[in-house]
Amino acid sequence: MADTLNPPGQVPVTVLTGYLGAGKTTLLNRILSENHGRKYAVVINEFGELGVDNDLVVDTDEEVFEMNNGCICCTVRGDLIRIVNGLMKRRDKFDGIIIETTGLANPAPVAQTFFVDDTVKEKTRLDAIITVVDAKHLPQRLIDSAEAEEQIAFADVIVLNKVDLVSPDELAEVEAQIRRINKYAKIHHATKGNVSITELLDQGAFDLNRVLVHAPDFLTSDEHEHNDEIRSMSFEAEQPIDAERFNAWIGALLAEKGGDMLRTKGILSYEGDDRRFAFQAVHMMADGDFIGPWKDGEKRVSRIVFIGRNLNRPQLRRGFESCQVA
Amino acid sequence: MSETADKVLQTRGKTRELDAFVVKASFDRSGSACAFALGDGEVAILRQGADDWQRIRAHEGAVLALATDAAPQGWISGGDDGRFYRIQPDGTVALIAPFGMRWVENVTSFTDGARTRLVACSAGKKLAVFNAQDEELKVFEHPSTVTGMVFDGKGKRVAASHYDGASVWLVASRSDTPRRLEWKGSHIGITMSPDGDNVVTSMQENSLHGWRLSDNQHMRMTGYPSKTQALSFTRSGKWLASSGADSVVLWPFFGGGPMGKPPTELAGGDGINCTYVACHPKDDLVAAGFADGLVVIADIASARILPVAGPGRGPISTLAWSPDGAHLALGSESGFAAMVDLSKK
Repeated sequence: MADTLNPPGQVPVTVLTGYLGAGKTTLLNRILSENHGRKYAVVINEFGELGVDNDLVVDTDEEVFEMNNGCICCTVRGDLIRIVNGLMKRRDKFDGIIIETTGLANPAPVAQTFFVDDTVKEKTRLDAIITVVDAKHLPQRLIDSAEAEEQIAFADVIVLNKVDLVSPDELAEVEAQIRRINKYAKIHHATKGNVSITELLDQGAFDLNRVLVHAPDFLTSDEHEHNDEIRSMSFEAEQPIDAERFNAWIGALLAEKGGDMLRTKGILSYEGDDRRFAFQAVHMMADGDFIGPWKDGEKRVSRIVFIGRNLNRPQLRRGFESCQVA
Repeated sequence: MSETADKVLQTRGKTRELDAFVVKASFDRSGSACAFALGDGEVAILRQGADDWQRIRAHEGAVLALATDAAPQGWISGGDDGRFYRIQPDGTVALIAPFGMRWVENVTSFTDGARTRLVACSAGKKLAVFNAQDEELKVFEHPSTVTGMVFDGKGKRVAASHYDGASVWLVASRSDTPRRLEWKGSHIGITMSPDGDNVVTSMQENSLHGWRLSDNQHMRMTGYPSKTQALSFTRSGKWLASSGADSVVLWPFFGGGPMGKPPTELAGGDGINCTYVACHPKDDLVAAGFADGLVVIADIASARILPVAGPGRGPISTLAWSPDGAHLALGSESGFAAMVDLSKK
């Protein structure tokens, strides 16, 4: 089972993003109609393409605002804060929350909402961001829309939909395009959103071990990529991490480059602690907590993943490695 | 601690486990009964002198808002089923207006005790005001969802909080342009001083913001470790009580305050967050509830604290005084509810 960053009893929240026409609502209706015996509160907006068939549907306007905390990229969905607070008054009536965003939405405000509000942090946990993409039209979307690229960058799980409409070569190319942006998301091929819900819900996005083990990053070069395209990279450290050094380094890094850093996730082995420390950030908003213990005999390797623009690989590598205990 | 802290509850209280989140408690205007709105859509009514808690089904989902009706008896309520209801004194539920899929998140009423009776609610960006015949008088539109609303003491104006400030509307005006009170950020609740001159909002960034309407003076009240869920002016208008810290935070609205003055803090020091406050309808007293279930009444001038209920019954989510100030109702997130008789015996 997946590790969770947060204590039990918290409501898992799944965020469903994807460009218009990618098949988001079809996938949502599939999830809801599958016979899983669970009840979901579904948050949609009135511009949805199709109706959603569920008992508990909340219709909302995506109301984004900027936090007055000195960090320019910290935008938050105030409507979600209200809705989560409202839903908590009947907590026993559902098992999870699914939030569908509009096609043009940047996922950052949704993700940052889970860092900013105390009640949301305390009562819920962001389980996974699922991005639905259209295999046929994604190449064009990536050219004409910054949001399409960010939706892939933010994803923990990508449903590559409508694969029946493309040739094997086209499919390989579109998958390579996704991997260039985000190496660490799980990709599922689908037609009409036919993905088993066990691959979508209860993902525990913080099960970074799983993600990283399946996508090792040893073979990538140390070249300095310097452009506005979104890239992802990960680093490992074999010596234990000095918590103070790590906090100082990551704090300064996010303060300076947070605008470019879309997502940062890590599992750290702190010196003198038998528990794994899970770290995550969206732009400048960061959070972290101890999760379960390292297993007996498990190699205590600290790993960190960056997804963003203008990532300076040698600098990030040196920075992370310098957080190790000397 | 608990045994002595519970003495008032045990000797003067009527208590009940209602098995659902107690969203809001409210006495009716006559003080003859108190209603408790619940997260399961029901409303529990306890009448003075009775031991029976009548439970009625009001909303399909959760009740999100409850207030006294403009009439001498009964209440108004809003829910996540998009309904704005009247709850009659006998427990009958009547529809005032439906709002589709939008949650009815705030309700309030006003009466001058004579002919003027207004009830109002907010759903999404709309704030709707109805007269005594439940005819829609006004619908005010806002730039973003209304998060709180309040009538002034004369029923002439209604103020609503939203993103980037608040809007103050003249209820009877023909023009549909509000006075905009601007301050960047997400404002999540609102109150107005009894004299109608000060509008204060709570903010997502764990602070309060205020505007003095007579001279456009801004007020910033900061330093809270968490969000302020409850704001309440004393009847005298001298103090604004607020939740969101590990004490009851009271800002002085006299002697030039709150600008440049530190707040008075009462009933603090144990690190437990204050979750709700309600000022007494007559005297400078404030009832406060805490995250551990503790409920106290504090005398502001003397700083004396009377414990009402000890910890252990869930975070306090609502407190309400009867209009004469002789009874206090309380409710918790885990479903505990009580009404306490504080009159001289």
